[in-house]
Amino acid sequence: MKVPSFLYTAILAGCLLCVAGLVSSTVRADDHIQLERIKYDAWQKKRVAYIPDIVVVDYWATWCVSCIERFPKMIELYHRYHKQGVRFVSMCLDERDDTPAIDRARRFLVKSNATFENYLMDENLMQAFEWLDLIGIPAVVIYDRKGVERFRLTGDNPNKQFTDEDVETAIKQLL
Amino acid sequence: MNTARRLLLGLFVVFVPFISVAGQYNAILSIGDSLPEFNNLPSTLGGTLSSSDLQESVVVLVSLANHCPWVKGMDPDLVKLAKEFAKEDVRIIGLSFNHMEADRLPAMKVHAKDNGYTFDYLYDESQELGRQLGATRTPEYFVFNKERKLVYMGLLYNSPAKKSGSKIKHINGEPSEFYVRDAVTAALAGENVKVPETRAHGCTVKYVN
Repeated sequence: MKVPSFLYTAILAGCLLCVAGLVSSTVRADDHIQLERIKYDAWQKKRVAYIPDIVVVDYWATWCVSCIERFPKMIELYHRYHKQGVRFVSMCLDERDDTPAIDRARRFLVKSNATFENYLMDENLMQAFEWLDLIGIPAVVIYDRKGVERFRLTGDNPNKQFTDEDVETAIKQLL
Repeated sequence: MNTARRLLLGLFVVFVPFISVAGQYNAILSIGDSLPEFNNLPSTLGGTLSSSDLQESVVVLVSLANHCPWVKGMDPDLVKLAKEFAKEDVRIIGLSFNHMEADRLPAMKVHAKDNGYTFDYLYDESQELGRQLGATRTPEYFVFNKERKLVYMGLLYNSPAKKSGSKIKHINGEPSEFYVRDAVTAALAGENVKVPETRAHGCTVKYVN
């Protein structure tokens, strides 16, 4: 059976519209929410450049259920404190060559409307944990206005795992 | 240097080595500590298990979580380890501490069956054993010798693996250092463990505050 040529044209036009829609939404999302790769050395320099802001760094990964669960609280704190000189940064610890995970991370940040700085640690994962002196995630590290680490909130001690309230209390202490 | 300073320095040198500190990567346990007692923890094999039931020369505890992609990634190698020591005087026991449904006993039974666990996989709902072990990651291994003293804790091997979809990928390629196997072998022979502690890598155990 011969398919009318206008049908081909309609299908082609439909496909083009879909692609255009997808591309434009991706661009819109990436316009204001980026997930940028960063090397450890560059991250250290960046931290120094943040002085005199108070800096709250949220270490997370898509494979970490607790990280995902508590991320909305980070967004909430950002909205509450970023105008008072508190800089929020998320540092993703998914594997640097795990493309599907990185895509999931990017989508999660967009969905969460994480409009602060979002980085992906571009190092071997075990090496990154060692350099960052992390045992597990979620972990939140907070630096004061002089760039000195003042709080390291982790789940490393079963009897003292940090809570969302601990993060806010720490920020308030530094303000 | 005045006398007071000399005295302080002397006290420091004499006593610091004896101050009890937790492990390098564990806030609670140190190498040489005793196996914490546990009682009647329900097992995926049916019934319950207590520390007093353990008769083997070497006991390996491993904290697990069904939901965790790092546990899934290293499940085949845990099963392989159990097979490797099946005929030796070694007891391997899996532990789950999380309260999310995916990590509770019914799901553990499914997970154990699907992954070919031949060993007890215990659910510690009270999280008491987990707290006493200082177990904060999954998987995290603890090897105890005949005297039930901790001789190793940390990673299974030097290249942790994560499962994404159906794919398993090791961080550092094929593992080349097998810490748990070496620790068990040394403990069976009554020898010192060359690498007694490593930084375990995996999901975090969530404790109830």
